[in-house]
Order: sequence, then C-alpha cells, then structure tokens
Amino acid sequence: MGEYKLLTKDFGATDLQTLKGYEKTGGYQGLRDAFKNFTPETLIAEVKASNIRGRGGAGFPTGMKWSFLPKDVFPRYLCCNADESEPGCFKDRYLIDQSPHQLVEGLLIASYALQVNTSFIYIRGEYHDQRLLLERSVEDARAAGYIGKNILGSGFDCDVIVHGGAGAYICGEETALIESLEGLRGQPRLKPPFPAVKGLYGQPTVVNNVETLCNLPHIVQRGGEWFKSLGTEKSAGTRVFCASGHINRPGNYEMQLGTPIRELLEEECGGMWKGRSLKAFQPGGGSMQVLLPQHIDLPLDMNAVQEAGSSLGAGAMIFMDETTCLVDVSMRLVDFYRHESCGKCVPCREGTYFESELMHRLEAGLATRAELASLADICSNMDGRCFCPLGDTATWFVMSAYKSFREEFEAHCGAGRCPVRAQVTALVA
Amino acid sequence: MTLQAATRSTIEHARDRYPHPRSAILPALWAVQHELGEITPDAMGEVAGLLRVTPSEVEAVSTFYSMYFQHPHGRHEVIVCINVSCALRGADDIVDHIERTLGCKSGETTADGAFTWSSTVECLGGCGGAPTMQVDHHFQENLTPDRVDAILGSLRDGDSALGAGPVAAGTPPRRAFGAPGRPPATPPAGAPSAPSAEAPAASPNKSPVAKVSRAARVVPAANTPLDTPKEPDTAAITKPVAKPRTRRPSKDGQ
Amino acid sequence: MAETGTPPEQVDDGRVGLSIDGRELRVPKGTLVLDAATEAGIHIPIYCAHPKMDPVAVCRMCLVNIEKFPKPQPACATVAGDGMVVRTDLPEVTKLREGMLEFLLLNHPLDCPVCDRGGECDLQDFTFRYGPGISRFPITEKVHFKKAVQLSDLIELDQERCILCWRCVRYYDEITGEKEIVLQQRGVDTLVSTFNDQQLTSKFQGNLPEVCPVGALTHRKYRFVSRPWDLQRTASVCPECSYGCNINVDSRDFEVRRFASRDNPLVDDMWLCDRGRYSFDRWNSSERVRRPMLRSDDEARDISVNEAITQAARRLKEISDEYGADSIAVLGSSASTNEELFLLERLARQVIGTPHIDHQLDPFDGISAAEHELGIAEIEECDTLVVLGTEPEEQAPVLTLRLYKAERKHNARVIRLNGDVSGTDAAEAAKGAIRIGLIADETNRENAAAVAGKLASVGSVRRLTITRGMNGRGAKDLGVLPNVGPAYAPAAKVGKNGRQILEALAKGELRGLLILGPNPALEAAGDLLERAVKAAACVVAIDTRPGVVSRHATVLIPGHAVFEKAGSVTNVEGRVQRIRAGLPPASATPTETRVLTTLANEMGAEGWGSGDPLAVNRAMRDALAAYAAAGNGGRALFSAAAVS
Repeated sequence: MGEYKLLTKDFGATDLQTLKGYEKTGGYQGLRDAFKNFTPETLIAEVKASNIRGRGGAGFPTGMKWSFLPKDVFPRYLCCNADESEPGCFKDRYLIDQSPHQLVEGLLIASYALQVNTSFIYIRGEYHDQRLLLERSVEDARAAGYIGKNILGSGFDCDVIVHGGAGAYICGEETALIESLEGLRGQPRLKPPFPAVKGLYGQPTVVNNVETLCNLPHIVQRGGEWFKSLGTEKSAGTRVFCASGHINRPGNYEMQLGTPIRELLEEECGGMWKGRSLKAFQPGGGSMQVLLPQHIDLPLDMNAVQEAGSSLGAGAMIFMDETTCLVDVSMRLVDFYRHESCGKCVPCREGTYFESELMHRLEAGLATRAELASLADICSNMDGRCFCPLGDTATWFVMSAYKSFREEFEAHCGAGRCPVRAQVTALVA
Repeated sequence: MTLQAATRSTIEHARDRYPHPRSAILPALWAVQHELGEITPDAMGEVAGLLRVTPSEVEAVSTFYSMYFQHPHGRHEVIVCINVSCALRGADDIVDHIERTLGCKSGETTADGAFTWSSTVECLGGCGGAPTMQVDHHFQENLTPDRVDAILGSLRDGDSALGAGPVAAGTPPRRAFGAPGRPPATPPAGAPSAPSAEAPAASPNKSPVAKVSRAARVVPAANTPLDTPKEPDTAAITKPVAKPRTRRPSKDGQ
Repeated sequence: MAETGTPPEQVDDGRVGLSIDGRELRVPKGTLVLDAATEAGIHIPIYCAHPKMDPVAVCRMCLVNIEKFPKPQPACATVAGDGMVVRTDLPEVTKLREGMLEFLLLNHPLDCPVCDRGGECDLQDFTFRYGPGISRFPITEKVHFKKAVQLSDLIELDQERCILCWRCVRYYDEITGEKEIVLQQRGVDTLVSTFNDQQLTSKFQGNLPEVCPVGALTHRKYRFVSRPWDLQRTASVCPECSYGCNINVDSRDFEVRRFASRDNPLVDDMWLCDRGRYSFDRWNSSERVRRPMLRSDDEARDISVNEAITQAARRLKEISDEYGADSIAVLGSSASTNEELFLLERLARQVIGTPHIDHQLDPFDGISAAEHELGIAEIEECDTLVVLGTEPEEQAPVLTLRLYKAERKHNARVIRLNGDVSGTDAAEAAKGAIRIGLIADETNRENAAAVAGKLASVGSVRRLTITRGMNGRGAKDLGVLPNVGPAYAPAAKVGKNGRQILEALAKGELRGLLILGPNPALEAAGDLLERAVKAAACVVAIDTRPGVVSRHATVLIPGHAVFEKAGSVTNVEGRVQRIRAGLPPASATPTETRVLTTLANEMGAEGWGSGDPLAVNRAMRDALAAYAAAGNGGRALFSAAAVS
C-alpha cells in the first residue's frame, strides 16, 4: 500500500496556490462535473457510496451526516472546520498551504450537494497566513465565477466567508464552532437539537473537516465506487497523517488507510532519530491513548486502532523514543486541556485544573503515592461526565500512560525530581 | 470615538458580510487589536455599538479567546509551543534560551517594549517543524538557539530582512494580524508560508533532516523506558515546566 | 406517530410513561426527567437548572443513569421518553455526585462561617446530603478571585464563591435581557463580571441573590444580618405597588429583614423589582401611632379604644343630626385590605348615609371593568402589546419582565408609545396585530379608552390599567369611589371625590371626616389636607403613622400596618390574594375590621357581627359574586359594561 497521493498528488506543482496553477492541474473540474453529472440528491448518494468518513477525528460517515438535514428547511449552512488545534496535528494547515483551491472546490461541491448558499471556512487564529491565503483564494475564485451567483451557469449561488478564530481549541468542536461563528464565546451547545437540525443561526448546518472536503473533487471525478476501493472496507480512501516527535523526517504523509503503522514510521518517516528505539506513540493526536511498540504493526485503520484501545483521531502520530518521560508528556497534554477547557462544565473545568496541578507535582517528584492513587479516580469522575468530549479526552492519554507505564509514574512519587530526566542527565555527565 | 475611521469601516464591512451582525465580533476585535495593539474597554464599547450588541457581550467574547490582548503588548509577539511534539524536540531549550536572551519571563514584555513572549501549551500546528514558534503570527520552525537569535535579532534591528514589517521604530504598536497583503516574516519563494524556511529545497512537507537509513531501531518489546541512550540529549535536561499561566492579571484577588 | 408501533390499547393522551428508581409514572410529553423525578418525589440535586430558565446542563450535578444511554445523562436537559428507565439510586450515580461536589469544592473558599448564604446554600446542603465526606485535595492551591466586589449599592459579588452555574448570566440574558453580568475569561479562570467592572443599573438586581445557588451574589442590605433559621417567614404580598407580587416576609426580632420572592407564575413569575424588594425596612419604622387619643382644643388625652369608638360614633352622629349625613365625608385608602374597604364603604353609604366617599384625590370618571380585562399572565397570549407612556412600567416594574418574556418566548411585539399618542397613530403602529394587549396607567386611562377604540379596528383588544397603591384595584372593585358602588354599580347619588372632599372640609361645607389610613395618596394634596383636617369639626382617624391627620384628629385610633394583620388585597388584574400577620402589632388595639364594625354597631347598624376578619371576608364574598368566584388567589372579573 504505502504512500498514496490523492489529495497531495499535485503538491509542489508550480503556482498550485494560485487559481491558474490549480486549474492547470485540472482544478475545479470536480465542481464542473458535479454540476454536469449530478443533482444535489445524486451527489449526496455518491458521497454516501464512497464510504468516506469524516477526517476531523470522530470518523463519522460524511454521507450519513449530510442526509440528516431536514428536507425543505432553508437557508442551510456549511462550515468547513479548519480549526485544527489537536496537539500533533498539522495536516489541515498543510492542505491549505499547498492547495487552498482544492479546499475551496471541495467546499463548493459540498455546498451544491447540500444546497447551501452561504458557506464558511472557520480557520484557527494561529493560522494567520493560511487565512490570508484562503481569503485571497476565495476572492480569486469569485472573480473567476466559481463563487457567487449562478456559478458556471449552473443556476446555483454560493458565497464563501473565511472566518478567523482567535485562539480556542474548543472551537474545533462543531457546536462550539457554530457558537463562535455566531459571535459568542466558543462553548459547546447542548445537543439535541443537533446542528443538522438547528445549527448556525438556528438553521440546519453541516460542519466538515478540511481534509474531508478536499476529498470531494476526487470523489466527484472518479466516483464513489473507485474511492471505496482505496483503503479498507470500513476505512475508505487515504488520509494525511501528521508524523512528529522523535523521528528522522517529521511531516505529513498521505497514506492509504490500512497501511501498517510500521511502514509510515520506517519508510516515510525514516525511523526513530538518533538510532534510538520507540518507547511509545500516540496514533491520533493529543487526545488519544498511548500505544506501545507492540502495536507498531497495526494497520492505519480506524477500527483496528480502536480495538487496540486508542483511536486514529485526526491522524496525528507522535512517536516517542526511550528517553521520553511519559509523566512529562502527560503533564504537557493535561496542561493543554487545562488551558483549553472552555470552563462550561464542572468536571472539565475543575478536573483539568486538578490533573494539571497533580501532574506538575508528580513530574517534579513531589507527589505522594496517595496523591498518585487519586489520579485514576479523579479521571474516572471526569470521563463520560463532561459536557463535550474535551473533558472526557483530557483523561484518556494520562490514564493510558499510567496504565502502561505504572512503574515510571510511581518512580516519580517522592523522588524529588524526574527520575527519567535524572537518569538521562546522569548519562550525559 | 476610540477607533480610527478605517478600522470602523473595516468592522462595518465585516458586519455586512455576515447573515447576522454579531458574527463579526471576532473580525472586529482583530481590527481593534490591529489598530490599538490591545482590546480596550472603550473599543469594546464601540464595537458593541457597531454590531448592535451590548459591550458586556463583546467583553465576554474577547476574554474567551487567548489571542486577544487584554493588556498592552510589545511591538512583537513571540509564542513558543511547548506541547508534546515540540517538547520532544527541545522546546524547553528554546524557551530557556529566549528567556535568557530577552531577559524576561514567559508572558512578560521586554524592557524596551520590543517583545512580548510566552510559552504556550496550545499546539500551534507546527509539529512537523518542531520546535516551533510564531513571531507576529508567522510560523518559525525547526528552531535552534542560533536561529532564534537570528530571527529576534533581525526583528529588533528592524533590518532589511523584514523591510515592510511592523517594526519600524517610532510607530505605535501594531499587530501584524489582520493586515491583508502584508508579507510573511520569512517569505519563502512561491509558497505563502512554508513550514521550514531553512529548507527551501525540500518539499514543505518534509523536514530538513536528511533522509537516513533504516538504522533506527523499532524494538517491539521495548517497554523499559530507561535503555541507555546512545548519546546525550539536551532536550531532556531542563528545569521544571511552568504551569499554564493564568490569563486574568486584572482580576486577581485583593 | 401512529405507525411507529404504539400498543393498540395505549391511548395517546399526550403523556409518556417512564420509571424512575422503579417508580412508574406518566408525565406530559416534553417533561424533563428532572421535573418528572420531582413529581415522583425523588430529589435530584441541581445547580445550573432553574425552573424559569432554559437548561444548560453545565453543573453536571443532575447526571442520572438512563437505560440504553452509554453515558450518564443530565436530568435537567433530557426529555422524558416513553419506556425510559431512569435510575438515581445506583452506586455510580452516588459516586458521580460525590465526584462533582469534590470538583466544585476544589476552588470554593471555606468561608461558610461568614457567608450570608450559610444555612440556605445549595452547595452546603448538597455536600451534606450527597458529598464525599472527606477532602482529598490538600495539594492544590485554590484559584483566587476577587471577593466582596460591590456590583452596586444593592448587590455584592464574591467571585471565589461562584460555582459558575451561569444562572445570573442567564437571568440577565433570558429574564431581563439586559446582559449586565456575563461570563469572562475561560477554563478554570472563568468568572462572572460586568462590562469593565461597571456598576449594575438594572431595576431587578435583587433577584440575583435568589437565583444564585451559593453565596456568590448577596444582598448588601442583608449582609451579616441573620441566619435563615433565625428568621420567621410569613407569606404575603408586596405592598409597594398594585402588581401584587407574592413575597415571603422574613422577620427577626419583630423587624422585617428581607423580602423574598414567592413564585406565583400568574403574577410575578418569581421575580421582584428592587423598589419592592428593598422597601422592607420601611416597615421597621418606630414612628407609629400607638395609643387611642381624644383631642379637644389642642389638648389631647389618652383614652381606651372602646371609649374612642364611642366618642367617634357620638360625634359623627351629632354632626349628622345637626347638619345632615352628607356633611360627613369618608376617605379610605389603597393601602387597606379588601375587608376594611368593604366595611368602610358600607359604613359610609349605609350607616352614615353619605355619598362622599373616595380613596384618592383625583376623579375617576367613566370607570369601567373593561379597563381591567387583561390578566398579567395573559400578556403572553397577545401577539402585540401596546404600552402607553412610561408610567405603567415605572409604577409596576415587574411588568417589564413579563413583557420581555412575551417578546422572547412567544415572539410578541412590544410597542411602547407616548402616553398621549393618538388612536390613529397607535393603530398604525400595531398594524398586523391579531390579539392586542393595551397597557396603560391610571394617569392616561382616558386616552387608553380612546386608543382601545381605534385599535379594535386592527385586532381584538384587551386592556390592563395599572392602578395606584397596593390595593387600589380592591378599593375600586369595592366601590370606595364617589361615582360607583361595589362591583362598579352606579352610585345612587354621586358624591364628592377626594380633592373635592378636602376642599369642602377646608371651606366648612363639610364638617365631619372619617378617615382610614395610612393614605399616601393624600400627600399630594399638600397643605390642603392640613387645612381640611384643621377646619373640620370632627376628624375620626384610624391611622398607623404620626402625621398631619393624627396631629389634628379629634378621635385617633391606632391602625395596623400591612404585615400586622390578616386579610386580602386585590392586584392590578383583579387577583384576590391573602396577606397574613407576620409582625406583632405596634399597639394593642383591635384590628381595623373590628374597630369599623364596633363603630357601625355604635352608630346603630344591625347584623354587622363582631368584625372578625374571616367573617367580614365571608360577608364580602356573599355581597360580591366576582369575589366569591375569585376565592383565594383567583381573579375577580366583572362584566365589561361601562358604568357611570
């Protein structure tokens, strides 16, 4: 299987970031085909047939998500979720940087399928240059007649608004994204009603990830059946994996789903750096449970990784070598959740604060065994109790690390310093 | 009125773009910060008037998002990611180096008002080029202390590397964000933004590290964490990491 | 939903059946699990949920186990479904409650000993009832926030005690729409605050401490005043205006310490205005008429009550005999109870035989039951509400909240016009309306009649006139007016109105005055009142406070303040509500109903009985069919035909 370039096949082509450059690679043909060969209904059916699942992390089938929209309720809205903020995740930025028009085209195809006349791209505040690039691309596409009234003579109207966030991980959660887009604090909304029924401005709304939308021009041009033939039965197509950490070649790699993780690590990423060995890795970004070297032959398949007790999430692979202190890694992730908790619900707001305080004590070697023992209980009081998945996932990594590296955690208790770091330091000296 | 006419018209233009005026709060606050360098109460009141909401609603929103400044900042904003991917590749060294170089702690502003820097656990999305920082909202990746010195030095000097950059001495503080058309701090040829400015030959996807052989070991059973490393790793020797800093300096206990 | 397999024998009665902790019950569709549990007598602890606000499910305290749901569900936001099996008595629910309380206490200061909320704090109570019993967090330093922030002269905020239930924020969003308090910052740093730390300006701030489940928002006037268990609570009605908001009078050591709201969805919807709520200390004034007195030639002496009544009867009779019954005037008050006013009217017209009776100064020509047709809760049924002038909402501030509710929840249009707007302009403004509610004040009730006529061409119109004084409506219903008798029946002989009475007394055209006070409305008469009582040959006054009347009264009998007596009052929409004695009387004299009855008896009336308030109430209901129908808490409705 190995690397399979679908979304990224033209990356590196001259001026791909410009409309002209994109058109030279066959850009916007997908949109033309969508108008020519599909009605909105058959287009939704085609996407359903492709079996594509959302690339944002939850992996919900996109076609099914689309079919939840109530019939005959207009206006509807489409939001592209470009609020990529998951620790270890940088694929959406890459997709936008390299080929902004691919996203715009995908967004327009989805808008046509869903009969949406106003679509949004919600891009995180930190992606400043990417936002400017998208704004420019949208204006160029508008000037070329791909956006606006009666697009390409199809009779279909669509406006696209690029909306910049301002620093809030939680806005990647679809209802929080909608709140933020409405000009409110980006806090998740109570469900039901679900966004498909009552979303942005109280209207039916679909939120799709950047990568999901980028797949659409290809599905339209080559057919759902063809797309389905890529990857595995339950995980169709390719995914752009973000590899980072202690590896020789960090970066984004588009792989067919089902490829063994080992192949990604050894072939594409050049293996572990400095000749070191793998101690642990996170297959789905900061939210997901830690996996161990024995899992390295698992396929890049949502279900298979799930069965191993973790998740592919948004496709962020963080590899850690033998010098890594898992307490330190847990502490940083817990700090992240503490920083990014919106504060709406009690267990997440207070729980992440407690976790962070405890992990800092533990990493500094100050925590007692009793304190460490309370960690699991505190986490169990958070997991499944929070308003949205942020608080739940704030416990997943630390709990899985605690389970798999219990001795390392316990060695920190009362040590007065980080024993892992101390050992590494000792070796240096 | 606090805001300049141009800022007001930017806000009005944003307001009229959206199906509902209050959706323009975030763009409006960006425009305010671009002009004033921070979000002031007066400006929030003015934004509220333009968007037909109450000032309290604007403050509720502006304090929620971490990128809006509630206090004056330096002319340049430096944010260093210390989340996992960057930490694994030496972010703490970069943090130490910046703290030493700039002579102030995370969250503080240098005495000359040139820099406000902070370390953040909010992943910047530059993991492929870790360690990463953002300077005036532009990515700077694959950092080494030398590279940091070069970047900060060029900003401080306001030298030709940045030309039209926002450093020009004597001008009031300005945020680069929201300035359409302003070139990135390190413009790579062709690409509007590249993960690694130092590796122009490589695809932006790849890090500048040369392809190495399959020598790297993947030991399936290696669950013992303290295998003897082959060589010292400075990334692992650091002082304790600061807790996420509270974002509420004006609301402290009495 | 017939095709989705409802068992054939199950008739769709608009209800769903569910079980909670094994108890089977049927509740209306759309009922929240929380409310269903309450109905089943099962307590589910809540912080964020509030009966008057939309669910937000942020405190996670009400999570319960529901079969077929993978995770615990918030009872406050989950709609009861048919066949749902809810458990609140499982160990996992116990554990999650303990966990949630542990989280809440993590950053909560331990200042219960000096917290005003102690003893009636949900955090204290639920920790006691559901909490873990031990504290596991010696290691974390509490996050510190500002304490004792003065949000206004009335409200104090302690940001450390706040558990971020969002109720105050939602109150300002959903109930008043003013958005004065909002959430700021995020995560563990989240706090509630005003814009730029500005002072609150709302007229409804006093509700904040009541919506707050902990001691974060407290009344500055109640700071360090009392523990709740030291308070004596009496259900009553707010005496500040005629809207009739239900209150609890909380007193300690014979003094009112606070008014608390007492939810009546038909009237106040549990909200009080600050004018009403913080008027409580007015009732603690020690300036009171305490002893019966007889005054002659500027010489006053104490006498017994019985002697005072006998003297009053004799002197009034003398004037009547010498100058005729219509040389005596009777003035009631909108601060009196229905029972007192009912007796006073009969005493005036039937016993003394004078037509000169009123309860206020200004004429009330053309009064009709039609101007009191629209009920408060019925405001929500209107699609368009026309409010004339600013007076209605100034007089009865809580009306504003009902109008906002109609606007927010029922998409009603609220049109505020000038008090003297022309009917044509009003009709133009209300174009497209179907069910119109027209709200005016006594001062522009005549224009309201004209506007109502024009609005009738747009849609159906019902009117609500804001009366003045706690029982201003009762005084009108009971005929304490010169032009109409009880139930708006035309008076056999139209007498002088309040101002005319005072003028006639001052000029010597009238000689005797029976006055039942206190009557704040008379203060507007200025020195006319003093000239009148000075000139009168005989002034019989039942009054509570020293003043012009008590200084010049020939016979003075101490009265009872509103919280010292039992009876009923009628609010602006005709709702007859009970008040009860919550404070001991300032003087040992019998209640007004007994004094008036004895006076009538001494003047030769027959069959008046003893004047027991309950007996008088019964007699009043026998006399007025509308009051019989209203009972206790219902609306007295009169036929809409215009009278006089």
